[in-house]
Amino acid sequence: MNKKEPFSDILVVGAGIAGIQASLMLSKAKKNVHLIEKTSYTGGASIKYEEVFSNMECSTCMLAPIQQQLLQDKNITLHTLSTIKGVKGSQGNYIVTIEKKARYVDMVNCIGCNACFDPCPVSVKNEFEEGLNERKAIFVPCAGALPNVPMIDTEHCLRFKNKKCTACQEACMFEAIDYNQKDETFDIKVGAIIVATGFSLFDTQKTPHYGYGTLDDVYTALEFERLYASNGPTEGTIQLKKGDSPKSAAIIHCVGRKEQGYCSSVCCLYSLKFTHYLTSKLPDIKIYNLYSDLCIPGKSHQKFYEKMKDAGTTLLRADAIKVEKKGKSMEITYTDENNKKTSITVDMVILAPALLPHPDTMGLAKTLDIAVDDHEFFKENDTTSSCVSSSKPGIYIVGCAQGPKNIQDSVTQASAAVGKILSSS
Amino acid sequence: MKIGVYICECGPNIAEKVDIDEVIKAVKPLDNVAVVERFKLLCSQDGKQFLADQIKKHELTHLVVAACSPREHQQTFMDVCEQEGLNPYLFQLANIREQCAWITDDKKEATKKAIRLTKAAVARVQYHTPLEKQQIESNPDVLVIGGGIAGIQASLQLAGPERTIHLVEKTSSLGGLSQYYEKTFPDMKPCASFIKGLIETVKNNPHINVYTNTEIEEILGFFGNFEITVKQTTTPEATAAFEVGAVVVATGATPFNPEHISKYGYQKIENVITALDFEQMNLSGKITLKNGKPPKSVAIIHCVGREEKGYCSQICCMYSIKFIRYLQKKVPSTKITNFYTDLCIPGKSQQHFYEQSLGNHVDFIRMSDLQITKQSDKIQITYSNEKDASKKLSVDMVILSPVLEPTQGLSSIIESTRISQGEKGFLTEEHEKIAPVSTSTEGVFIAGCSHGPKSIEETMSQAEAVTGHILTSLIPGQKIEPEVKVSHISESFCIGCKTCLNVCCYGAITFDDLKKVSVVNEVICRGCGNCVAACPSGAITLKHFTHNQVYHEVKEAVQ
Amino acid sequence: MKKSIRETIKDFLMKAMEKGVFDAVLIPMKVPAGDSYVYVLIKDKALVKDADPLPPVMSVQGGKAVSSVTRLGKGNLKIAAVMRPCEVRATNELEKNEQVNPENITLISIDCPGVLPLHDFTSNPEEGLAVFEQAEKKHDDTKMRPVCQICDNSSLIAGDLHIGTLGAAKDSVFLIAHSHKGQEVLQTLQLSSKGSLASWKKQVQEKVENKKKQRSMTHKQLKKQIGGLENLIDTFSRCLNCHNCMRACPVCFCRLCYFDSEKVKNVREDYMQQAQEKGTLRFPPDTTLFHIGRMTHMSVSCVSCGACEDACPVSLPVAQVFSMIADETQGLFEYLAGRNREEPLPMKTFKEDELHEMEDAHD
Repeated sequence: MNKKEPFSDILVVGAGIAGIQASLMLSKAKKNVHLIEKTSYTGGASIKYEEVFSNMECSTCMLAPIQQQLLQDKNITLHTLSTIKGVKGSQGNYIVTIEKKARYVDMVNCIGCNACFDPCPVSVKNEFEEGLNERKAIFVPCAGALPNVPMIDTEHCLRFKNKKCTACQEACMFEAIDYNQKDETFDIKVGAIIVATGFSLFDTQKTPHYGYGTLDDVYTALEFERLYASNGPTEGTIQLKKGDSPKSAAIIHCVGRKEQGYCSSVCCLYSLKFTHYLTSKLPDIKIYNLYSDLCIPGKSHQKFYEKMKDAGTTLLRADAIKVEKKGKSMEITYTDENNKKTSITVDMVILAPALLPHPDTMGLAKTLDIAVDDHEFFKENDTTSSCVSSSKPGIYIVGCAQGPKNIQDSVTQASAAVGKILSSS
Repeated sequence: MKIGVYICECGPNIAEKVDIDEVIKAVKPLDNVAVVERFKLLCSQDGKQFLADQIKKHELTHLVVAACSPREHQQTFMDVCEQEGLNPYLFQLANIREQCAWITDDKKEATKKAIRLTKAAVARVQYHTPLEKQQIESNPDVLVIGGGIAGIQASLQLAGPERTIHLVEKTSSLGGLSQYYEKTFPDMKPCASFIKGLIETVKNNPHINVYTNTEIEEILGFFGNFEITVKQTTTPEATAAFEVGAVVVATGATPFNPEHISKYGYQKIENVITALDFEQMNLSGKITLKNGKPPKSVAIIHCVGREEKGYCSQICCMYSIKFIRYLQKKVPSTKITNFYTDLCIPGKSQQHFYEQSLGNHVDFIRMSDLQITKQSDKIQITYSNEKDASKKLSVDMVILSPVLEPTQGLSSIIESTRISQGEKGFLTEEHEKIAPVSTSTEGVFIAGCSHGPKSIEETMSQAEAVTGHILTSLIPGQKIEPEVKVSHISESFCIGCKTCLNVCCYGAITFDDLKKVSVVNEVICRGCGNCVAACPSGAITLKHFTHNQVYHEVKEAVQ
Repeated sequence: MKKSIRETIKDFLMKAMEKGVFDAVLIPMKVPAGDSYVYVLIKDKALVKDADPLPPVMSVQGGKAVSSVTRLGKGNLKIAAVMRPCEVRATNELEKNEQVNPENITLISIDCPGVLPLHDFTSNPEEGLAVFEQAEKKHDDTKMRPVCQICDNSSLIAGDLHIGTLGAAKDSVFLIAHSHKGQEVLQTLQLSSKGSLASWKKQVQEKVENKKKQRSMTHKQLKKQIGGLENLIDTFSRCLNCHNCMRACPVCFCRLCYFDSEKVKNVREDYMQQAQEKGTLRFPPDTTLFHIGRMTHMSVSCVSCGACEDACPVSLPVAQVFSMIADETQGLFEYLAGRNREEPLPMKTFKEDELHEMEDAHD
């Protein structure tokens, strides 16, 4: 049988921290990398965080240099607004069809001056900011997003509703706005594929007893991250919906854990991080952490936990939690560790929801013809190995696409996938 | 000296916010400035060609560009210099866009600042010296310290006809801790037999040299060029020496010994055994008490040693649940009680594994404190938790699940490679989040439990991640290009106090015992500048950030 | 009584040299002209009887002398260095900075009564000696240097052997071994620390408590005096920028002091501009900056020996100020400069958790 000469390029799906790490490593080994990303920006979920545990390091400072490296790397071709349409072939010889949506802004001419935003007449909720503020139909998701080139949201732009509007094009001095751009479809030939599509959060509206969506000041973890972020909707001021600062807050762990059936491994730790967020901006605030089992594995995390505890929080083992309105605040009723029903009153509730696979996982699994597990994460092939091999040789699954995990483990898996690719080629 | 200064309009971005003609007027009369011009977009093809032509036309010796952030186009303009035969380090970029035009609408202020920034760049560039890139040979071979699962996996993945692996193990056999586990969680897949298979593969691999009963005697050198000496621990204590390009420290962990904690009664009360004792017993085929009979009731105690060591060992809850499975299989009617503080079962499959282990004969009891005592021929566990002040349970056998401690005796490895040991005794990674398997010493990697307590799955991940790093940075036949902007110590001013040595976290500074001065290894130095700041007499300079360069830049900027 | 103590000490040293315990002794001796005392290295044991282990002045700091002798070369011959506690401490600090090779050096300290201001003595040596002898007899240190008067470490043992004079019976001294080396010396000479040290300890404790109180009061005063930039500048206003304090200081060991280097020298145009901005510009400039800078570099190693104040030609209260600041900076790290050889230098030691009060994560 004729053995085909393997293609040497690699496809990485998802430009979050794991995808970026894998791409940079492969580039260092002089491999050509096609990095496709569904959204218009790189960095994934990690660029939404202001700080990361356990050193409270500034997340942007950690990511920006590698994002920049990514954009300037000659071996990496970044395709944003791109997804996989189809795959043919097998390990060593995959032909992948990429569908790339038009950005309507020329990435070479645009220098990121943002002059096109103001004139745009359309305002919609900003998804990146978890709906906490608005953006225009031509936008970058947040200040500092990379690549620093806006995109036109065809769902809301007036031109795509058959209305005449050239406001952004008129404002641009670089002839960067190009309404003639079209969605593209093209094929790439790669020897291996690394899937790093990340996670999404459990929809807390499915657990209405936490009050999300009905009560004003119940926030999900990502919403709270954006509230605290210095480039976020409030520029880092922690405030309630009406604008005043909370005097007390409760962080509820394990939201969605029962429903999903697994522990997401990062929530206890980022909840402690939130404790730090709150005490650093509001030193006198009273904080409660409601949890079932404290999950803080690892050599540095217990120390981090003790530090956060000392900073001032009350840890309550709680079950059967219910959040309801009580005057201007909220009352949380729960069963404590002695099985007694009790309650606390707080101004602000932050929910730590379970990590779910990215909503596109099922579709992508079908396209790539790889298995998913009972929780709809991509399924690893052999659990006595490192879990980065999918059910199909030559396709690797890393980061939260494979299962809920923290940044450290995602990065390790990305490097492991690279190791596997390079050692087999 | 002929300095060419070029101000980019960046379209209207800079041109509309800064009065460029004013800037030109201010910069033209400066000493050594041969030409000052403006251009629409210097980073475009036309712009780069324009710069290239200008360098030739005016025979420029230095180049200054006032434009956007160095992050954007510093490399672009440096490349232009290099192409025109001008050393790329005789170039300076003044950021008059992100740091000037883009932050204010006041044109007067912006112009003033742009003038300062450009003048500062001109002042600085005069003190620049040409710097040359180096290329050094590297050895693709790898030293793997530790023959446990991490070391084995890394060796198998890395070994090849162009890369020899030297696998050094201090005990008499490969396999580490996991060779004693019959099965692994969460899938109860065979472990001991799997490891055995891997060990055979290692032994049969012609590119892996295995040294058992061997310890590291010395590690000298640096990334790409390490000189290793190893010594046998058994007579005749022969030594061997070889060269490698990278070192992987996969020295693993050992289970905490609860002997000294009297409340557990280990080594004092019969049938109180540790997890490792139990694994070995299970692997031998039969689970029995000391008297040979099977146990009718077993208690498994989680978190042994956690308070003493101060961290959660990540795997104990899971392997304690695995023990339930072992017991359920080999001694089916045994009553099993797990005593725990917080159940730590993170991951997509772990909770299911736990739930599947529950049953009629299995109890999970949360406790805050417990005491193990002998009670005639049984063992009594007295425990308390939030619900009850003091309760008792009588069992036949107690299995203690201790935390994992870092392997001891690594001081010579740590000293000679200059990697760090954290507070808990585990080896410190380069960056907690984005560089977990590399260390601050280039070319030295850590994998598995030497980094921190973790499961076999995570250990394999780390071992493969190390493989990824080594395969990308140590390529057979490829030379290493070290950092150009490195430190330099003046021999005449150094008094040999070794302050810089203590401050360097990359092990780039060594001490010359003959001359009694400190010396920088330019290949390892990463140019962080800590030593420059630490030297009390100012005997150290950082190339491209010398006192004069920085001083004159700042002086002009604040004039 | 004091003569006997000196004789006792010298007898001990000569005996030790006889028995081969030491090959040489580093000890103060009066200069032939009689107007000062300096450290001498003596190989001929007979000459030891001309030495003076407790001279009325400290012209050269003992630590500097030990560093001079030992920094380069091999440590083959055994040397006994006889010094004050602050000089032993300085030696320890220098060892930590690779400026002293401790091989075969035995550090011997003596209870220190303090010393006279150098200039007071050298301008009239005869009178100075008389004043010193009186002061020793009456245990009165009001004529000693200001830093000596508030020194609470005058009996601190930081070396190998210590000779205790306080609370000792007439004509005798306490020989206290503080290290393995010290013990070996005593053993070889068949001298055991017989009898109890209780009376020495009691006297020392009393003195230390007294001095601590005095020190605290004096520093409180001094803080008021120099507090604020204006006052600080005024305090150092007659400084000549001669840097002699730095040269005399035992723990200022740099080959080229940063403040002597080109880095602090400016061009004429810059001075013109500064003059323009400040009105008047003194020359050489940066006198206060020099002192603050020197403090930053060596305060954590300062042993409050006072050599700097003695060396100042315009009698600035350098030692008083530096000694007070040293208490604060060393206090930050719970460190006392040179109290032992093992304690690592705070400036070279990095702990995962320290100085959190200096960190500031958010406003």
